[in-house]
Amino acid sequence: MSTFTEIHALAEQRSALNARLRSLLVEGLELPIVAGMIEDDQPLFGRGLELDSLDTLEIVSLVEEEFEVYITDDDKSVFGSINKVADYIVANRPRP
Amino acid sequence: MRAEVHDTGIALVFGGSRGIGRAAAERLAECGLAVVVAFRSDETAALDAVTSIRQAGGRAEALRADVCDEAAVRGAFRAVAAMEGVLRTVVFSAGVTSDGLLATMSAESWRRVIDTNLTGAFHVSRQSVKAMRKTGGSIVLVSSTSGISGQPGQGNYSASKGGINALTQSLAKEVAGLGIRVNAVAPGFTDTDMLRRMDAKARAEYAALIPLGRVADPREVAFAIEFLAGPQSSYTTGQILAVDGGITA
Repeated sequence: MSTFTEIHALAEQRSALNARLRSLLVEGLELPIVAGMIEDDQPLFGRGLELDSLDTLEIVSLVEEEFEVYITDDDKSVFGSINKVADYIVANRPRP
Repeated sequence: MRAEVHDTGIALVFGGSRGIGRAAAERLAECGLAVVVAFRSDETAALDAVTSIRQAGGRAEALRADVCDEAAVRGAFRAVAAMEGVLRTVVFSAGVTSDGLLATMSAESWRRVIDTNLTGAFHVSRQSVKAMRKTGGSIVLVSSTSGISGQPGQGNYSASKGGINALTQSLAKEVAGLGIRVNAVAPGFTDTDMLRRMDAKARAEYAALIPLGRVADPREVAFAIEFLAGPQSSYTTGQILAVDGGITA
């Protein structure tokens, strides 16, 4: 069973990961908003941030460069939200 | 022949240790690019190519990367990203043959050629797009006249090269908006190890079919690669440039 301290540390790591992803998206896609405006469950495509297919390439490339995690079309649901991208990174990032 | 310096960036040449790939690596180095010679297994040949380039006043490094292994290809691009300079061009010249009549060709023979020549091109192309998405650049895939007109006994090889041609055309349209150009050269009979493995009688018969009456020197193909890699072809994308002595004319 995890201790409160361990759970707290995990929550902080996750919060930092989500914040990093928001920054990457805003900087990499040159979005005209501040990173903090993107909500963790806000859709990235469609009526969310209204990203397009070239933005997909950018997100895939940014995640690859930053986290060594590789996303393909088989994992399209990953692009659902910041939380979904973060979940995928946590599940697939190389272990030290 | 010293070329005009047209760039100070990096050229990454897969299959750069031998044959057409080596000639391309040498030529692009003459043009002023820092060349990364990516090789699968023949480290001695790769280091020899690097030494040759450096002795001629160029800049070169060798890097092991099997194009069949996507993780290895990613690793090569990561290594290049850590180098000083912008990646300007990627040449895919890795290729194998395993000839035989299709009716008796083993599945292993089919897969080996497709995996290296076509899936390898896929791995290299998509990493190239990711790497050059912000800067633009040029991808040159080495195809073959076998991918244009077909060769008996080369069903696997012809299919792989025909696939490269189609990949070139599709990807060119896909990434033109990013400032990335994608072209292929289709060499005919070229004086490389691959051709030297043919018996002398067959070589002579093939040579007799070539309008220019001889096989190509790898450097003659490298000049075409230089053109497609560099700014002189800035309005050329999605093309398959045959360098074949007229055999597909």
